Amino acid sequence: MATLITHSPILIIAIPLVAAFLTPLIGMAGSKARNTLVVVSLTFVAFLVFALARDVVANGIRVYTLGSASPSLTIPPGSMVPVRIILEVDAMSIFFGIIWAIVSLAAAMFSLSHIADETGQNRFYTLLLLMVTGGFGMMFTGDLFNLFVFLEIASISGGALIAFRTRSADTQEGGFKYIVVSAIAGLMILFATGLLYAQYNSLNMATLAHVIQFTASDKIALALLLVAFTMKTGMVPLHLWFPDAYSVAPASITGMLVITSHACMYAAFRVCFTLYGGVIDGLVVGWIIVITGLLTMFVGVTMAVFQKDVMRFMSYHAISQLGYMWVGVGVGLAVLGTPELGTYGRDAMTGGIFHILNHAMYKPLLFFTGGALFHCTGTRDLAKMGGLAHKMKWTAILYIIGTLSISGLPPLNGFSSKILIYESVYRFHPILTMTGIIVSILTLASFTKAFHSAFMGAELPEYEKVREVPRSMIIGMVILAAGIVFITLFPAQVVGWILRPAANALIDQGAYINAVMGAIP
Amino acid sequence: MTFILESGYSFWNPLVWIILFLVMMVLIYFFRRQGQEKYKKDTEQAQIFLCGAEVPAPGERHIRVGNIYWGFFETLKEYYNQILKLHTGIINDYVAWFVAVTAITAVILLMAGLGK
Repeated sequence: MATLITHSPILIIAIPLVAAFLTPLIGMAGSKARNTLVVVSLTFVAFLVFALARDVVANGIRVYTLGSASPSLTIPPGSMVPVRIILEVDAMSIFFGIIWAIVSLAAAMFSLSHIADETGQNRFYTLLLLMVTGGFGMMFTGDLFNLFVFLEIASISGGALIAFRTRSADTQEGGFKYIVVSAIAGLMILFATGLLYAQYNSLNMATLAHVIQFTASDKIALALLLVAFTMKTGMVPLHLWFPDAYSVAPASITGMLVITSHACMYAAFRVCFTLYGGVIDGLVVGWIIVITGLLTMFVGVTMAVFQKDVMRFMSYHAISQLGYMWVGVGVGLAVLGTPELGTYGRDAMTGGIFHILNHAMYKPLLFFTGGALFHCTGTRDLAKMGGLAHKMKWTAILYIIGTLSISGLPPLNGFSSKILIYESVYRFHPILTMTGIIVSILTLASFTKAFHSAFMGAELPEYEKVREVPRSMIIGMVILAAGIVFITLFPAQVVGWILRPAANALIDQGAYINAVMGAIP
Repeated sequence: MTFILESGYSFWNPLVWIILFLVMMVLIYFFRRQGQEKYKKDTEQAQIFLCGAEVPAPGERHIRVGNIYWGFFETLKEYYNQILKLHTGIINDYVAWFVAVTAITAVILLMAGLGK
C-alpha cells in the first residue's frame, strides 16, 4: 500500500491516459468490455485519490519527481535547482482531485445510457478519459509548462466532446467557440510562462515562487495568467462563450466541463497565492477578483432567470455560482499577510473552497437532470415541457435536491458554505454579503420557475409515452445526490478533514516551496 | 462526532433543521388527515371546477416558462436591453473582451506599484 501511495500522483494521471488509448482496442471486443474498462479504471483512480488525500492530510505535501532515482529527490545531486518534471500534491490540489474523481466517475456512469444510442462511442470514452487525464494533470503538476500541456489536453478533448453530437449545427458551433477560447487562453498562458522562464530560467512553480522579483514583465505575466484562467473559468465579462459551449454538450460532459472550470480556478488561485504569493500586494489583486466575482454572481443569475433553454439556464447558474467562490477566496487574498487573515480571511477562503465542493456536487447533478429531460423529451426548450414529474419521479426528486442545494436553503449543503462566506466577507465589505443573498433569492426563484415549467402541471399528451431515464443515468445522479446528503449531514467533518487544510495549503506558500527546494535559507 | 459547524461568529447544526422538518412533516400529515372524509379519488370530486366554464386541455392551461415573472422582466427592461446586447454570440466579440480585460488588468498591475 505504501508503494502504491508513493506512486499514486503519477498513477492517477497515467491510468486514465492508458485506459483512453486502450478504449478503442477493447471497444472492438464489445461495448460491455469497453464500458467496464472505463468504469473500473475511474473507480480505481477514485480509490487512489482518496488514499492519497488521506496521506496528504496526515503527512503533508507529497512530491513526485519523474525519472529520478527516488520520487522525492526533487533536486538532482550536483544541481541547485529542480530540472525534472515534478508533481506536487498538497491539500489544495488533492481537494480538487477528489472532486474530479467523483464527478468523472458519476459522468461515466451517466454516459453509459445517455449516449447509448449515439455512434462513435469508442471515441467518446477515449476523449472522456483524456479529459480526466488533463484535469488531474492540471491539479497535480508542479510546473507551469506542464500546466499548459495538461490544460491543452483537457481543452482539446473537451472541445471535441462538446461537438460530439455531429448531427446538429449548434454543437459544432459550441465546440468551435470552446476551442477558439481555449486556444487563445492557452497561448497567453504559454506566453506568460515564456516571460517567466526568460527571466528566471526555470519552469518549476516552487522555484519561481522562491526567486520571483515582481518586475514589469512579471506583472504582465501575472495579468496574462490571471485573465486567461479567468476566461477559462467563465467569469464575467469573459463568460460569453460558456453557455454557448456548455449547453450543447452531452449532459455528462457538461458536468465534467464544470469541473474543468474549477481546475482553471485552481490554477488562478495557485498563481496568485503560490507563484506570486510572496511579492503580490493582495489588496489590489484581491479587489480585482472580488469585483469580478460580484459581477459574475449578479450577471449570471439575472441572465439565468431570463433563459428558456434548460441547459443554457443551468449554464448561467453555473457562472453565477462561480462568483461566490471567487468572492470568498478573493477576500482571503485581499487580506493576505494582514491580521484580518486570521479574523475572517481564512474563514472566507474556507467558505469559498467549501462552495467549490458543493458546486461540484449539485451543478453536475442539475446538468444531469437537464440531460435527463432532453433524453426523454428530445427538446431543451422549457416552454415545450410540462407535467413531467408524473413520468420522471426520480429525476424530479433529484432536481429538487439540487435546487435546494444551489439556492442555499437550509439544511442542504449549499447553505453551509454560503453562511461561511456571508459571515466572513461581511466584515470585509457588507455589500458582498448583500449581493450574495440577493443572488441566492434570484437563484431559488429561477429554479422554481424551471421546475414549474418542466415538472409541474397536468400530464401533457405529447409526453404520454415518456418513461423515467435508464438506471445507469439514475445511478450517475444518485452518486452526486449522495455527496450532497453526506456534506449536508457532516459539514464540520468535511471542513475539518479537507477544506481547512486546503485553505491553509493555499496560504502557506513557504511549505509549497520547501517541499521542492528544501528549507529556504 | 459533532454535527456543529462553527464559522467563528456563529454555528450551524443541520441536525436541528432536519429534526424540525421531520416534526413539521408529521404535523402536516396530521392536519391533512383531519380533512374531508367524503373525498373519493378519481371521481367527479377530483375534477377541476372553473365556475362552470369549460376547463382547457392540459397543454393549454399549463403556465409556460415565458409567462412567469413577467413583472420582473418588465421592471428591469432597461437592464436586460443592455446586458443582452453584450451577448452577441460572435466569437470575435469574445476575443475582443479578452484583449480589453487583459489590457486593463495589466495597466492596473503596472500602475498600482504592487511590489512590496
